[in-house]
Amino acid sequence: MEAIAVGRELGSRSGGHARVALFGHDVRVLADVLAGTGTEVLLADDPALAEYTPDGYGQAARAVVESANPRLILVAHTSQGYDLAPALAGAMDLPLVTNCLALRFDGERLIATRRLLNEKVQAEVEIASSRPIVATVRPGSVKPAGPSAGGTVSVMPVRIDPSKARTRFLSIERPQVQDIDIAGADIIVSAGRGIQKKENLPLIEEFARALGGVVGASRPLTDMDWLPKTRQVGQSGKTVRPKLYVACGISGAMQHVAGMKDASLIVAINTDPSAPIFEVAHVGIVADVLKLLPATLKELKS
Amino acid sequence: MPLNIVVCLKQIPNPDLQFQIAPDGKDIKRDALNYKLNGADEYALEEAVRLKEKSGGRVVALTAGPKRTEQMLREALAKGADEVIRIAFDEAAAYDVGKVSRLLAAAIRTVPHDLVLTGVQSDDLVNSATGGLVAGLLGLPHASVVTRVEVKGNGLEVACELEGGLQRLYSIALPAVLTIQFGANTPRYAPLPAIMKAARQPIKELSPTALGFASWDAVPLPYTFAVRELSPPAAKGHAEMITGTVDEQAKKLAQFLRDKGFGRR
Ligand SMILES: Cc1cc2nc3c(=O)[nH]c(=O)nc-3n(C[C@H](O)[C@H](O)[C@@H](O)COP(=O)(O)OP(=O)(O)OC[C@H]3O[C@@H](n4cnc5c(N)ncnc54)[C@H](O)[C@@H]3O)c2cc1C
Ligand SMILES: Cc1cc2nc3c(=O)[nH]c(=O)nc-3n(C[C@H](O)[C@H](O)[C@H](O)COP(=O)(O)OP(=O)(O)OC[C@H]3O[C@@H](n4cnc5c(N)ncnc54)[C@H](O)[C@@H]3O)c2cc1C
Repeated sequence: MEAIAVGRELGSRSGGHARVALFGHDVRVLADVLAGTGTEVLLADDPALAEYTPDGYGQAARAVVESANPRLILVAHTSQGYDLAPALAGAMDLPLVTNCLALRFDGERLIATRRLLNEKVQAEVEIASSRPIVATVRPGSVKPAGPSAGGTVSVMPVRIDPSKARTRFLSIERPQVQDIDIAGADIIVSAGRGIQKKENLPLIEEFARALGGVVGASRPLTDMDWLPKTRQVGQSGKTVRPKLYVACGISGAMQHVAGMKDASLIVAINTDPSAPIFEVAHVGIVADVLKLLPATLKELKS
Repeated sequence: MPLNIVVCLKQIPNPDLQFQIAPDGKDIKRDALNYKLNGADEYALEEAVRLKEKSGGRVVALTAGPKRTEQMLREALAKGADEVIRIAFDEAAAYDVGKVSRLLAAAIRTVPHDLVLTGVQSDDLVNSATGGLVAGLLGLPHASVVTRVEVKGNGLEVACELEGGLQRLYSIALPAVLTIQFGANTPRYAPLPAIMKAARQPIKELSPTALGFASWDAVPLPYTFAVRELSPPAAKGHAEMITGTVDEQAKKLAQFLRDKGFGRR
């Protein structure tokens, strides 16, 4: 829906229009939902598209690009999106720009705004080409497309050749760990790599207890098994909306922020004043978390 | 089944640093940076070495980058790579993922490859694009954000991470390209004797002509690419900062939390 919003906007500004390509099997209902944004939906339906595979969806995407010959192909920068988009660009010899916060045309040139180096540097880059440009849009960068009239669904005949499928879908695996569900907690104190050592976890736990909350974590900590996977906040973990979120030694990478930006009150503690976490936090403290928390605990207890 | 594995490694400026923009606004200031192996690539290298140890075969570590990347390649040798190759692409900031991917793809064509591994993203430029591009350019099947790889018959079974902790399992035919996710394994430390030995091992260098290009500027691209401007991010918002000594900060934080109704009295 966000990519559609970007497409609609760029389309109308450049005197063109946005079309939406939908791949799947038996997804007419979804096609109608998408058409509710006032766009023409190209529906490619095939049993081989029931589950995402890089090969199947790649074939479908190439077929759409060949027949529609668009100026710009927008894909969401999600794990599926950045699986599909670069391979499409590689296979069709198309230009590519990924993980864009904003896109605009300046004459023939596409201008993309991106973030580099842990969100600390913003870059504007330009691509010009006579061929369709592939771009991925970072989730959360724009408002999702709202409803609008005039949308249609047209079925696009594609034939996915299963004999050409070199990737085959097997199954979906869900995490199975018995643990508390941090998504239900009102107060979360999360630890990041900035706590330095596993031995410092009890400090975070004590702080969480003092506030009546639970402990969450950034991904590196659950990767290192300091905490179970169920405690991970972020894109590939839990999305949380607590009343209070305290980020202790967490840099604020986009994948982490995706999971906690909607907390009512965010307090961030980090030694690096340029850490991007301070952009989403309401209250920030530049300090060594290993010194600040014991001192704050003392204050809370007095 | 022995596997010829190519693993793509990238050297990046340590992203924990603070960065300044160069006066021309086209790059960051690079004189005082320290460089390291990209985070996800540590896992890609480890996965490559483990697959070789299990199934037999060879690991070739490949990079496109300036002379300073030799240090990283020696590290790869010490951790189990059998051969290392540097594409002598000396652009410090390697501006274009499409171009770098075309160089990598051209180099991969020159060595036997059943499996190509990259990291899921580079922590400096976060394109998450190289693996997929290389796959598309070479016409190979691929899978992204891989957390588990198993050899099954003539192919692989892989687990790919989706949002929200879900994993999607695929079977994939070889040769193939995989992008390896953080945490896929526990990377090893290089043993000291291996580090000593790696210091003496050769590093193969590829010039433009070795890859069939007249020069690095003559790599055919279907587009033109340029960095317009780098800037400090225009913050969407910024936290209200609590300043002072640690004790003062602690006092103010405790007071603030109490005022908001948090913390037991
Ligand atoms: C200031 C600046 C702005 C830029 N802006 C853009 C931009 O907007 N759009 C754009 O497309 N590119 C841009 N680039 C350049 C480009 O993104 C990278 O230089 C390109 O080399 C690879 O992208 P990545 O490192 O993000 O790759 P990713 O796809 O994120 O990296 C994934 C994996 O690919 C492998 N890999 C990547 N590079 C190498 C390498 N050199 N050698 C070996 N393996 C490698 C590694 O295994 C790595 O883990 C910019 C560069 C600079 C300096
Ligand atoms: C596909 C994909 C999915 C991902 N999903 C997630 C996810 O769901 N959740 C997630 O969290 N990450 C996720 N990541 C990883 C993410 O990109 C970051 O690598 C991660 O969030 C960084 O964790 P961190 O902030 O703890 O560590 P770092 O980025 O290393 O930050 C540590 C911070 O601590 C600060 N610090 C150091 N010492 C101290 C001290 N003594 N006191 C205070 N501060 C200190 C440093 O200044 C730094 O800012 C994902 C990545 C990928 C590629």
